[in-house]
Amino acid sequence: MLTRRPPLRVIIGYLMIPLALYIFAVFIPLMTAAFYSLFEWKGGPNKTFIGVANYVTLIKDKVFWLSFSHNLYLILLCVIGQVGIAFVFVMMINTRSVKLKSIHRTFGFFPSTIAAVYVGFIWTMIYDSRRGVLNWLLALIGRDDLKQVWLNNSDLVMTLVSIPLIWQYIGYYMLILLSATSSIDKEIFESAELDGANAVQRSIHIVLPMIKSTIIVCLVLCVSGNMKVFDNIFVMTSGGPGNDSMVMAMYGYKISFIQQNMGYGSAISVGIFVLGLLVIGAMQLFSNKFSKD
Amino acid sequence: MSEKAYGMTVGKKVGNGFMATILNTIMIVFSLSCIFPLVWMFYSSLKLKREFNANIVGLPPAPTLDNYKQILTNADYHIADSMINSVRTTILSVFLIVMFGFVVGYILARVKFKGNRIIWLMLLMGMLIPVHSLLVPIYIVFNRTGLNNQWYTLLIPYIAFGMPIAVFLIHSYLKGIPIALEEAASIDGSGFTGTLFKIIMPICRPVMVTIAIIQTFACWNEFSFALVLLRDVGLHTVPLAMTQFTGQFSSDYPKIMAAMLITMSPIVIMYFGFSKNIIKGMVAGVVKG
Repeated sequence: MLTRRPPLRVIIGYLMIPLALYIFAVFIPLMTAAFYSLFEWKGGPNKTFIGVANYVTLIKDKVFWLSFSHNLYLILLCVIGQVGIAFVFVMMINTRSVKLKSIHRTFGFFPSTIAAVYVGFIWTMIYDSRRGVLNWLLALIGRDDLKQVWLNNSDLVMTLVSIPLIWQYIGYYMLILLSATSSIDKEIFESAELDGANAVQRSIHIVLPMIKSTIIVCLVLCVSGNMKVFDNIFVMTSGGPGNDSMVMAMYGYKISFIQQNMGYGSAISVGIFVLGLLVIGAMQLFSNKFSKD
Repeated sequence: MSEKAYGMTVGKKVGNGFMATILNTIMIVFSLSCIFPLVWMFYSSLKLKREFNANIVGLPPAPTLDNYKQILTNADYHIADSMINSVRTTILSVFLIVMFGFVVGYILARVKFKGNRIIWLMLLMGMLIPVHSLLVPIYIVFNRTGLNNQWYTLLIPYIAFGMPIAVFLIHSYLKGIPIALEEAASIDGSGFTGTLFKIIMPICRPVMVTIAIIQTFACWNEFSFALVLLRDVGLHTVPLAMTQFTGQFSSDYPKIMAAMLITMSPIVIMYFGFSKNIIKGMVAGVVKG
């Protein structure tokens, strides 16, 4: 801290605009949501105070909880798919036998820099039943029987929408983990490559503990990222078929803007807020416990 | 460290070569999959719709720029407009995030005053808040105040959501900078503002670049707030314009691909031009943030 403090009015002058903007965009909406969630309000001039009725509806709302479970399912798949695969790739890329390392970095990181909306479009085209690459591949290997309208498959749709997410961010986590392993003695990786089975053991027993804190950062990012997934789903399925790929943000959007039910939409927003904080809180507890070991 | 030094047998060497091939193959397949969409979209965008539908992965039989010409000359598609909107929104947002982040971060790190801690906690809360819980209420607030659907509308949420991470990066960067520097400047008669912009700002350049890189991608790619806050097609940013466009031409893949490539081009060129620095910046932002 500075020993000679500048005049208070200078500090206030500097802080005023950024903080006013920040409060206006973050805290005012939060309070607004809490307020309107107590009303029956279709977005028009009339609204009716109904107390906590919206929250009672929310607690009983099967679709909302289904959406939440889909978020959790995405978290599970993405923790394994993004961080898990990224870790395996990092172990592979650090061996001496893998060539073209800088190409793998540049290409691998690329998908994470493009908009989720675009990734959604690309994969919608890949999954397309008549013009899609996936069905084309199946035809190529003579499995025409497996061809289908992929994103209409209720059982598979959540997994199918998670694949673009995983694909997009493997490289991202790979680069984060690579930067963490760059300080580890190269010999650990190089001697590990001599024997396949040994390499796996070394990864788990030697490398993993050394980059534990970075792994935790990745897990936190991955969990919070998947709590707010929206763009991909909006583009690929809009939550369908039925509600089979509905996630919380998409559901809030649908109720508020498509059904114009702003009062209930506000209650859902508060619900997303609370569940989001709970999940992140649980994550913090987990990581505190994990890093103590 | 040659393999002979380990006294390996021939069998093991073959095993290693085999292992190496597998590892290399997996990594190459992964890397190719990451740029396959770009390549596929590029040569497919040179096809006509019927050529694409006849063979979705083949090279164009007679490459044509028709799709590009149509998209760029037809103002109804709003592709060029959307790019101007995105460029303006991104540049202004990033500039203000970096400046605000710098000033607020510096004050929180170096100046002791009542409220310092509270502002810190407020910003921390902003990082933890699930952004999408604000989607509906921010629409209500902006609608009420008439701030929605303006050219500057998106600057407000983008700056607000980008600021916490910027403040924290500046704050943690300043921890490594000795305070003696500013004290000396102060003794030499430099005022607070002079010290802030003439002495501290040049020192913070690397971390400010990191913030700018992260936020450039975040603002350019942002979709959900643009979706709820903008109504006029003339104000749409790129991701939003693309959802309109794909809705309109849902069966004309080559045209969609051409539009995607045009609107992606600034970010793709930037990425492949400066990938080393961009990756470094993004990773630094995560690890230190």
